[in-house]
Formats: sequence, C-alpha cells, structure tokens
Amino acid sequence: MSDTPQAPSALESSLDGNTTVMGGTNSVSPMTAVGRAPRQRTSWRERFEITLLSGPAILVFLAFVIAPVVAAFYYGFYRWKGFGPPTDFIGLHNYKVILTDPEFHRAVLHNFEILALSLLIQGPLAILLALLLNRKMRGRSVIRVLVFVPWVVSEVIAGTGLGLMLPVNGAINALLTNMHIFGDVKIQWLGPHMALWTLMAILTWKYLGFAIILLMAGLQNIPEELYEAASIDGASYWQQQRRITLPLLGPTIRIWAFLSIIGALQLFDLPWIVWGEFNVDRDGISTMATYMAHYGPRTGLYGYGNAVAVVLFIISMIVAVLYQRLVLSRDVDGAVTDGRKKR
Amino acid sequence: MTTASLEAPRAKKNRSAQGGSKPKDPWGSPAVYFIALVVVALTVAPVAYIVLGGFRDNSQITVDPAGFPSPWRPETYAHILQSSSFWHQFLNSTIAALFTAVLVIALGLSASYVLARYKFRGRGLMFGLFAAGLMFPITVAITPLFILLNNLHLTNSLIGVILPQVAFGLPTTIIILVPFLQAIPEEIEEAAAVDGCSRLRFYFKMVLPLSLPGVLTTGILTFVASWNSYLLPLFVLSDTNSFTLPLGVQQFRGVHGSDTAAVLAFTSLSMIPALLFFTAFERRIVGGLQGAVKG
Amino acid sequence: MSFIPLQTKRAAFAVAAAGLLLTTAACGGSDNSSSNAAGGDKGGSGAVTMTLWTNSTTGPGVDFFKKAADDFHAQNPNVTIKVQSVQNEDYDGKIQTALQAGQGSAPDILFQRGGGKMLAMVQANQLSPITPSSDVTTNISAGVLSPFQVDGKTYGLPTSLTPEGIWYSKDVFKKAGITSTPTTIDELAADAKKLKAAGTPLAVGGKDGWPAAHWYYMFAIRDCSQDALNAAATSAKFDDPCFKQAGVDLGKFIATDPFEADAFNIAAQGAASATAGLLANHKVAGELMGAWEPGVVGDLTPNKKPLPDLGYFPFPSVPGGQGDQSAMMQGSDGYSCSAWAPKECGDFLNFIETADNQKAYAKAFGAIPANAAAQTDVTDSATKDALTAASNAKYSVLFLDTLFGQTIGGALNTAVVNFMSGHNNDPQSIVDAVNNASSKG
Repeated sequence: MSDTPQAPSALESSLDGNTTVMGGTNSVSPMTAVGRAPRQRTSWRERFEITLLSGPAILVFLAFVIAPVVAAFYYGFYRWKGFGPPTDFIGLHNYKVILTDPEFHRAVLHNFEILALSLLIQGPLAILLALLLNRKMRGRSVIRVLVFVPWVVSEVIAGTGLGLMLPVNGAINALLTNMHIFGDVKIQWLGPHMALWTLMAILTWKYLGFAIILLMAGLQNIPEELYEAASIDGASYWQQQRRITLPLLGPTIRIWAFLSIIGALQLFDLPWIVWGEFNVDRDGISTMATYMAHYGPRTGLYGYGNAVAVVLFIISMIVAVLYQRLVLSRDVDGAVTDGRKKR
Repeated sequence: MTTASLEAPRAKKNRSAQGGSKPKDPWGSPAVYFIALVVVALTVAPVAYIVLGGFRDNSQITVDPAGFPSPWRPETYAHILQSSSFWHQFLNSTIAALFTAVLVIALGLSASYVLARYKFRGRGLMFGLFAAGLMFPITVAITPLFILLNNLHLTNSLIGVILPQVAFGLPTTIIILVPFLQAIPEEIEEAAAVDGCSRLRFYFKMVLPLSLPGVLTTGILTFVASWNSYLLPLFVLSDTNSFTLPLGVQQFRGVHGSDTAAVLAFTSLSMIPALLFFTAFERRIVGGLQGAVKG
Repeated sequence: MSFIPLQTKRAAFAVAAAGLLLTTAACGGSDNSSSNAAGGDKGGSGAVTMTLWTNSTTGPGVDFFKKAADDFHAQNPNVTIKVQSVQNEDYDGKIQTALQAGQGSAPDILFQRGGGKMLAMVQANQLSPITPSSDVTTNISAGVLSPFQVDGKTYGLPTSLTPEGIWYSKDVFKKAGITSTPTTIDELAADAKKLKAAGTPLAVGGKDGWPAAHWYYMFAIRDCSQDALNAAATSAKFDDPCFKQAGVDLGKFIATDPFEADAFNIAAQGAASATAGLLANHKVAGELMGAWEPGVVGDLTPNKKPLPDLGYFPFPSVPGGQGDQSAMMQGSDGYSCSAWAPKECGDFLNFIETADNQKAYAKAFGAIPANAAAQTDVTDSATKDALTAASNAKYSVLFLDTLFGQTIGGALNTAVVNFMSGHNNDPQSIVDAVNNASSKG
C-alpha cells in the first residue's frame, strides 16, 4: 500500500523500536480489499455470473484435490495393502500406531527443526540479498538471473547432482582435498552429525531464490519518496533499510514465512533423494512425508500411508490456522480458514 | 482507500529502472560485487557440476569426483540431441506445461475475479477451500488420485497429468491473483457500468488486460512447475510415447546399473527450457508478485 | 493385534515356504502341469493386443522383449505386444497401483519376482494362472518354478536365476596380499582388514537398504537350520533363537569395521559413485550381490567392457551355524499374466522360455537363464563360478525380503540397516521388527 497516510505510521512505530520482522504488529494496513466487494445483495444475475466464472475451477478442484483427500481419510481407516479394494476396517488403529511410534515423533520433531531453521537462516539472508539485488548497479540483471537458477531446477535434478557431490567419496570432499582444506579429513556431510546442517544448506540453496523474488516484489511496493525524504534528513543507507524497508516489508515477510512453514512441514523430495529412505531417520532428517512414503507405498501399507497423510494434513492445517490467527490475520484475510471479513 | 489507483501497473512504470533498462546504472562498490560473486558461485556450482558431468564418462566421475572433463566427451550430449525420443518427450513436456499454464490461468483468474469482486455468502468458504489445498501436496495424494484417474480413463494420457496439475496449481494462483484483482479501483468498474458494460463484459474487456502481470507470473510459475513435475507423470504415464522429460531419464537407469554421465547430460538439456523461460520473464514475475505481497 | 484372518496368513506362508526350499538347478524335475489355462475375459481368435511391463530400461533388455514380441507376432499374427519399461526402483509402487486400478491400467504381462510379493497379487485375484509348456517343465527344475506357484497353480515363469555371493576384484585382493579366497567368516574378516589397510575395503551400498540386508540374510541362512527357515516362512515370525544369533554374528563381523567409510550413504547401484562403480574402477575390493553384478560392473568400467579380473566366491561358512554351510540364497526374475490378460499371455510366457529365447535373454541381460538347456551359454567365468556354487548347494533360499513380501520384508530391511549402521545396537531389534511388522495397517 503506497498511500501516504500508511507509511509514516509504520515508520513511527518502527522508531518506537518495534522493528520485529516476524509477527510485528506495526505493519501497513491489512489486505483491505477482500472485504471491499461493493454489491450488497446477491442478485440472480450475480449468482449466474459467480457460477459461470468460478464453477469450472471449483469442479476441477473438487475432483482432483478434495476427492483424493477425502479418499485418503477413508483408506486410513483400513488395513489395506493396495491389492484389491479395502475391506479390513480397523477404525482408528492406524492413528494409534502413528501417534505412538517414536520414529514418527522424531519425524515431526525434524519437521519443526527444519521449519525454525528455515525461517532463521533464509529470512535474514533473503532480506540482505534482496536489498543487494535491488540496488541500481551494473550487472545486476545477470546476477539476479543466476541467483534464481536453483529454484527453477527441479528437485529431482538437484537431488541427482547433490547425491553425487555429498557422500564421503563425492565431489565436495574431493574438492576440499584437492585444495588442501581440512587435510585428509573426509567430512561426512550426510552423517548424523552434519546432516541437519547439510540439509539446511541444501534447502537454503534451493529455495532462497523464491524468498528473494517475493521480497523484491515487496520492495517495489515501497514508495521511493520515503527514501528520498529520509536521505534529505540525513539517514544513512542502513538506517533507511532498518527504519523504512524492514517495517514496510512486514507483510511480504509474513507471507513468505507462511509459504516457508508449509514447505518445511511437507518437505519430501530432497531428503528422500539425497539421503535415501533408510538413512533419513538415523541421520536425523526424516520428515512426516518421508515417513509416509517409507511406511506407505514402499512397504505396501497403503491404509497406513494414507492415515499418515491425513495426520500430516491435519498438522499442516493446525499450524497454518495458528499462524494465520497469530501473525498473518492482518495480511491475508480469511485465506486459510474463516470467511470473516475485515474492513 | 478511495485514492487507490491501479497499484501494480503504476508501480511498475514508476520503477521501470528496476528492470535495469536504463543504460546508466552506476557500478556498485567492490564489496557488493564480491558478495554477489560468492553467492552466485554457490548457487550455480551444483548446476555447473551437473552440466559438466554430462561431458565426462562414468569412469571419470567415479575416479575423480571433483575433476573437470578430461578428455571432454561431447558425444553424450550429441547422442541425446540426435535421439528422436528426447524430442518426443520434449514435445510432451511442452504440451503438458503449456496446457497446464493456460488452464490454470483461465480457471484461476475467473475464480479469483469472483473472490475479489463479488460479495456473496460462501465466499469465505470458497477461499478457505482453495487455501486448504496448500496443505495437501500431490505427493501425499498420489494413490487415491491415481485410482480416480483410472476410473476416469485418464491414465496414460497427458490429460491425466494436466488436469490434476491444474487443480493443485489453483491455490497458489488464486492467492496471487486475488489481491491483484482487488487493486483494480472500483471507479473503473463503476464507469464501465455507466457505459452499460455488464460485469462479465467488464471482466473480459478490462480485467484480463489489467491483470496481465499477475497472469504472466502465475503462468510462468505453473509452466516451470509442470516442466519439473515428476511424481504425477511417473504414476500416470506408462507408455513411453507419452513420457515427459523427467521420465525420459529412466532410459539411462537400468535394472541395476545406471549411466550417470548420460543421466547428467539428459537432465542438463531438459532443464534448459525452464531456465530460459524463467530468465526471459524474471522481471515480470517480480512485478506480478507485487500485488500478492502487498500489505 | 492381527487383522488378517489367521487362515489366510497360514496358507500364505505355507506357499511361501514352498518357494523357500528350491532344489538345486541341476535336478530337472517334472511338474504336474496344472489344468487351468490363462484365464482371460478377452476372446480367442480375434486381434489381441497385450502390454508388457519390464523393469529393464536399457537398450539390450528392451530390445530383447521387442524382438520376442515381433517373433511371437510372426507366429501368431493376431497378437501384438507393446513393451513398456518401468524403472526398477519405481516398479513395485507402480505395478501395485496399476493392478489395483485393474482393467485398462494393469499390464497384461508383468515382471515378477515370485515369493511373498507374488502371493499378495494372487490373493487379490490380480494374476491369472498359466500352464507351463512341456519344454518348461523339462528344462526348468521344480525348485526354480516353485516361487511362482501357489496351491499347485503356476502364476508366472522364471526367466533368470540370481545366486548370491561375493564378487571381487582379483587384482585388488592380490595387491592386499590375499592369495586364496576366504571360506570362513573369520577368514573373511581377516581379509577385510587387509583390504581396508590397503585402501580398498569391501563395500556395501547401504543407501539402497537391501544390499546391507543381504548380509543379514546370509548370516541367517548360515545360522538357521532348514527347518527353522521353513518354520519362519510358515509363521511369518522369527521364533527360533538362530535369527537373533544371526544378528549377533553379523554384529561381530561389523565390529571389525569391514566396509568403506560412510557406507550407509553410498548407493550400490544407480550412480557412477555407487559401490558397483567403485568396484569397476578398483576403488573397492568387492561386495555381496546377486548374479547381476558382472553386468552392472561391466557397464561402469572405463572402457564399458566386463571387468577382466572379476571373481566370485560363495558366502563363507559361519562356525557353529546350524544351516548347511553350502546353502545358497538366490532370487529369480520372471513374468506373470495379470487377471485381465487374454489367454495368449500364457503362450507368450512359454514362448520366451524356449532355449533359444532364453539364450538371447541371458545375452541381453548378462544373466543366468532359468532354462537349464540355455545355461550352457554362460561364458563369464565369475558367473560360471556362481552357477557352480548354486548347483553344489544342498538347498536354496529365496531373498528373504522377496520371500516374506513387501511389508515384513520392508520392516526387516529397515531394521537390519539400522542395526548395521549403529542406529540400534540390539540384534533383538531385527527379530522384533519382523514379529511386529503387522501392527501397521
């Protein structure tokens, strides 16, 4: 929102020392427009238009997203090996096993570790790089394109390459040996001591581009005049970033954090491909999704796998709702759960 | 909010410098370039490793994992480029990605328009329903989804890949496009109404062109996601003739062995279109996301 | 808690037990051919199109099936067969979903490993029985056929045998000062020490899971009597103490640190840096594998030709073990007809079992053909040694994960990897994993 009344107030609150990046309450106005729809009653004609315009999307969405979700709930109540239709109804048994399995507990813990580290590592890095890439300087467009490369490359391709680079006898250790760093010590990048940090490095490498691109979009929303005014008042570059940019980026950061949280909870491909299904648990980077795949399709336990999918879905929902209530509510009105409108 | 104007498009114009189109951007400080260089080296190195790996043979990769190609073996790349199956899969990938992107835009924009500009009971529910789709990735839904596709006789055809991709692409699309459409000032709509323009005509005449940046963004994001999609095509497509590029790499993975050099060369070639596409539209994406991340 | 009706389970594992005790390949048995022809709902004389799913994705393997399909078409002009490849690691998941989806998605002819995995398909009525030709019953021994039979009916035909053993580089062994191959596990441990000191250790591709699990299987086969193995196959439980003993013995061997560094993050196959590639380039000394190893290694040598100094020795004896120390573990690859296949499917399976086609198959896959009449064509010296060891074995056992089926086999493999990699140091955990595998639905 670049309307002028907003910015000074945000600036003021940041001057009050309230510069928290996450969960700050000092940001610009909520996404007001959601509640701004003009017509007061729904006429038959509007109903026709609504149906015509949103009908196809809703149909496709119900058929290919909601129906499989409902089916997953259904299969989760069965002991079912994927052969023939499910017949062996076992009620909540699968859920009992899941919730009492220490391996699943570890997977959930890892998910939340990854979630927290993703926010803490990628957030500040992305802000710094977005600021850097937003500076007017020569060669910027080339740098920008290159920084986004990992994000555009598919997980399967990235995993293939990283799988060759990271084992003890892989390219990274060979390179370190060639350069006489660490002497002859071969670092077990994938082992239990390093795995979480290696994974964080991989995730940062892969997804930082997306954070940067969102933040750069957010930066475009900050009116130039604010910086010009601050410059006249003698504020340094860093002062300007701290007092103007950070507070005004609040909504963007919160949206990025939301997407990052969802991504962390549903993380699957990279641990699965780079470490492999037998190693994720030992090396401390299993996730709910790798647990699901390992004990679902890979061992023929389709009922159980679907029950895990349901648990994963519910945990994602709870976190999303909490986040929306506590942090995001001012930005995305009702995006996740309720239709309560704000004005 | 009465002063709100056409937010995104205006901002884009104001800041066209952002795209670096002005020839006289100054040089940054050496420290900035140094940091940029380090970052770029780190981001590009694994990709470069894959591309260079395609120029080595398997034995080179095993014996000296970090070495440069010696000797260079361009024949792996040449062989793939000459194979008809690569181009066939290239075509399939293109079809799947284009149709997915076009359909996501067509369906997503219409639904977003309803969500952004109409007030009706169930609007919140509809928004919530789509947003809940974010919580259920395709990885998790694959078994029930496949059984459904089979009942609809959509397996082994690209349509069976396209339709679910469209469905799973809708949540992101709607989240990006709704704020964009909300930014279209009411005055324009009212003026149109005075001119006797129905809301449907308004949609086609005004909304479509005005939302172009957002549409481009979601289109490109969907295209790239479809291009990279692996799990869904893996389950849906059995016939080699219907394979997309990510599945094509299988031909180099035997029952027990694997031709790693060929895998690397093949993946290098298959990621080029997504990279080019993204590069060409990178600036537009920033502009298109602008609305979505606005406060 | 068990939710599978006990009877079904019993029947299931009685069948699996039949597969457990393969007789040696040498004795050609005559099997009562079952009366049922390939059940099919499609008509007989009209044009028939069948799809075939193979886990072979590389040139020669696919070419073999395409040529076989063409030859079959030449003999039966009304039958057309479409060959489709599914990558091996994706195969189990994909075939399961396709069979589940049934008509339209399920292939007519499908790659089949037999044992417990096949049993699950039979119980779900997803396969149709076939009648082996007289050629098959004459040249393929009853023991080799038995993993593909349930209740006296044949649900698939084996195309190749994969006896297990240690495949090694003779040069690397020589360089480490080893002059003769080990015959006891202690000798193997001593050799492993020498090899490791020479910088070329024994290898295990722990990332893939099953290559590590094969070590436990072999210890179990050495430590457990034939009766104990049979009982386990019938009850789906590791009740005999020998199964824990196998874990203890494996633990002792692992304690000598015989394998390459970071062994559980290195794959066996599927990448140039996998153990097969390391062996092909003399970076490691050898590994425990099935008889597909020479072909895999050959593809990864610098000149892409078979490794000239590749050797084979059977898994060494374990002192005090109650099993016959010559017993062999071996898998067999084969093909089945799905329940929706036309009757011509059975004809095609018999067709690819003829001696000529089996010879071509063996050549294309570098495999040991199931048809004894085609085994004369095995030329690779290491493979010949493996075939000899298999013929000399008093009895053979199927890979335990194939035998027990996906669920128990998967739990077993996970537990073995956790044990071998030090994630869980209690050998009892392997036994518990098998005995508790059915708690998850």
